Amino acid sequence: MNWPDLNMGGYGFYIWGSYIFALLAIVWELVTLSYRKKVAREQEKLAPKVISRKANETTS
Amino acid sequence: MNLYKYASPINFYPLAGKLIPWFAIPSALLFAVGLFMGFFIAPSDFQQGDAYRIIFIHVPAAWLGMFLYVLMAIYAGVGWAFNARLASMMASSISITGAMFTFLSLVSGAFWGKPTWGTWWVWDARMTSTLILLFLYIGFISLQSSIDDARRADRAGAVLALVGVINVPIIYFSVQWWNTLHQGATIRILQKPTIHGSMLWSMLIMLAACWLYSVAVVLVRLRCTILEREQNAARFAEATV
Repeated sequence: MNWPDLNMGGYGFYIWGSYIFALLAIVWELVTLSYRKKVAREQEKLAPKVISRKANETTS
Repeated sequence: MNLYKYASPINFYPLAGKLIPWFAIPSALLFAVGLFMGFFIAPSDFQQGDAYRIIFIHVPAAWLGMFLYVLMAIYAGVGWAFNARLASMMASSISITGAMFTFLSLVSGAFWGKPTWGTWWVWDARMTSTLILLFLYIGFISLQSSIDDARRADRAGAVLALVGVINVPIIYFSVQWWNTLHQGATIRILQKPTIHGSMLWSMLIMLAACWLYSVAVVLVRLRCTILEREQNAARFAEATV
């Protein structure tokens, strides 16, 4: 097993920069999705119950 | 077992909810294993040193950006041709994750380009066609958002998605068709890969992690879309009675 140093042979800024950016992108997606889910859930409470009804329409 | 019933958004909604943990949990585990292997097991490259370790996020992001676009176009096309609402909802759910991975591939590519090529960006065939892919995703998302009627938005989006799919083989073969700064493929289906086994496995595990993550996130977004659209349909039905 290799123990890489944080400097990564002088490429640390580029390597950690790309991984931090990836982490931020994933966190952004999960946070916005979580917010959208919360809003949809709140709307569902106000609207008629549609998800539990017996329906089988595949097309509009 | 009648699988056709799951073509209905309302029937697919609970199934999607049950499937999400089966993709999300393995994804988190594979991310941990892939990153561990990529940083602690895989050796340094003899030419690029440690800079090559960006491939463990760059390559899966680039592959998923292309693959998700093709998948989005297929779902959009099916939704348009057969008037299948769930397929159209799936296409719009895929688009944001696909755009995110394409953006990530461009940014991580820039982080790789600076130390290896000496520049963050060049108008290279591979990079330019990937940028066009990002614009196609943004166009699809913007077009769908700008039309109030969901069915019309789906049809307009499907046209754009199907026309834009021609860009995917251009991205893939750009390094063969043109003399590009971007390196050629190191992994081919019919040939032995030209990278070390531990590097290859780390990359493939990260690819699997990103793929499972995409499925989980798309299913969550699809459930939100079903909730939003079915409520709108129910409200519209109430208003017109």
